[in-house]
Amino acid sequence: MRICISSLLICLAFAGCALQASPESLPPADATNQTLLAFAGQSAASAPPSGALPLTLPLKPKSVRFAVIGDNGTGDKPEFDVAREMEAYRQVVDFTFVIMLGDNIYGRHNPRDFAKKFEEPYKPLLDAGVKFYASLGNHDHPEERQYEPFHMGGERYYSFKKSDVTFFVLDSSYMNQEQLTWLEQQLRDASSDWKICYFHHPLYSDGKFHGPDLDLRSVLTPLFQKYGVNVVFSGHEHIYERLKPQNDIYYFVLGNSGQLRYHNLRRSQQMEVGFDTDRDFMLVEIDKDDLYFQTISRTGATIDSGVLARQSHSSNREQSQK
Amino acid sequence: MSLFNCTVAAAWVLAASSVSLAQSAPPVSVNRNSLVIADFDKRVDEYVKLRKRVQGALPAVKSKTTAANIKQYELSLAQAIRAQRSQAKAGDIFTPPVSQLFRQLIATPLQSSQGGRVRASLRDAEPVHGLNLAVNQPYPQDSAMQSTPPSLLLNLPRLPAELEYRIVGRELVLLDTAADLIVDLLPEALPALQGESAKQ
Repeated sequence: MRICISSLLICLAFAGCALQASPESLPPADATNQTLLAFAGQSAASAPPSGALPLTLPLKPKSVRFAVIGDNGTGDKPEFDVAREMEAYRQVVDFTFVIMLGDNIYGRHNPRDFAKKFEEPYKPLLDAGVKFYASLGNHDHPEERQYEPFHMGGERYYSFKKSDVTFFVLDSSYMNQEQLTWLEQQLRDASSDWKICYFHHPLYSDGKFHGPDLDLRSVLTPLFQKYGVNVVFSGHEHIYERLKPQNDIYYFVLGNSGQLRYHNLRRSQQMEVGFDTDRDFMLVEIDKDDLYFQTISRTGATIDSGVLARQSHSSNREQSQK
Repeated sequence: MSLFNCTVAAAWVLAASSVSLAQSAPPVSVNRNSLVIADFDKRVDEYVKLRKRVQGALPAVKSKTTAANIKQYELSLAQAIRAQRSQAKAGDIFTPPVSQLFRQLIATPLQSSQGGRVRASLRDAEPVHGLNLAVNQPYPQDSAMQSTPPSLLLNLPRLPAELEYRIVGRELVLLDTAADLIVDLLPEALPALQGESAKQ
């Protein structure tokens, strides 16, 4: 398994002023970390360059690009800050969809709450045609599945495909037999090169507040391993974590796009990178057998980045199924 | 065939028949449980039939995809169901025999060799306490939904898509999700977990 990962990259020099900074004021690109300087507005037809953003994604032609947020739906300033940073990066990266790891709307679920906690923060992204694909967290009302901007098709769990990547979106608060049966069938039938699962409760985590959901892990990981799932994203813990591969599967926890549990990590051997002092979001680019990722704080600091190679097990297992 | 062989053969036939009989006659408690679950299923079916009747009579909603329309539909459906079930009370579906069986079914995974991880999942699921829940009332909007450990959920009878089980503290709630309506409640469904007050 080839894993080429640049270790923790904190671009504090960019903090809070990435958009305003002139290219001259930025530190030089770090070649070892594959950091590139991209200019906000570069790929937008109408907007002129307005500043520089540190970017580690290669932006290869025809790659699948998306953003990841979790535990975002507070309607408070940090959520708006992260959303603003996402829009700045969208203008460069041109990602077309966002996956949501649950707790999309905290507290009440009146129409005003959907506006304040989702439609207003992400208005620039929504206006640009970016699609959001939500999963349900424990703070979400199950009927969010009907809400058109969440693209859940009226289902608590569903799948969708982008190029050669299939996403399996689960409701981890209510993992009943029907959902497990559905998941197994979907995983078995999927022929994509990449299989990505995402849901709210993490199976592995060094978060102090909750930790991993061991019971959920006991029912999901056998399916993930049997059918060659490549990557799993979860939220719930209000921190960021990239775990060392577990049984050859990559696990990320990102539950701090709105909420934050400050200094809530208890680092163990299983952790690769963790971040628990601010909010963040993640950018992902998949090109052939490589998954590039960059995790960015709300002040614009890159807190983690790298590239993960597609595991050999996925193609082998697909072949064995055939 | 010798007499001995005939005797041995006869003994084998008798032994096999008795094993077969023993296998085909389940213990009395299993039969009793099946009857209790059948009664639970029947009560759930009756609720779903009533709900479908009520749903059919509701004015058509153009689209249930905006936040406003989802809320409007939820309130209309809840109001209509409530009107048809104005006499509903706790225990209508979770009857005493059903309650007794459900407490057993919930306790089983907690007491099994995997009980530790199920209890850990319950503890880490942001347990919700102190809510005043009542049949025919909505689930409090600003309260989180406590997640239900899969091992526990997989041990309970399956429900139609309209309904869900939800753990709230130690209570088990039967929830109509689209109407956001509590259909029935089972108090003290979960045994008190270690370090947890029995009254929680």
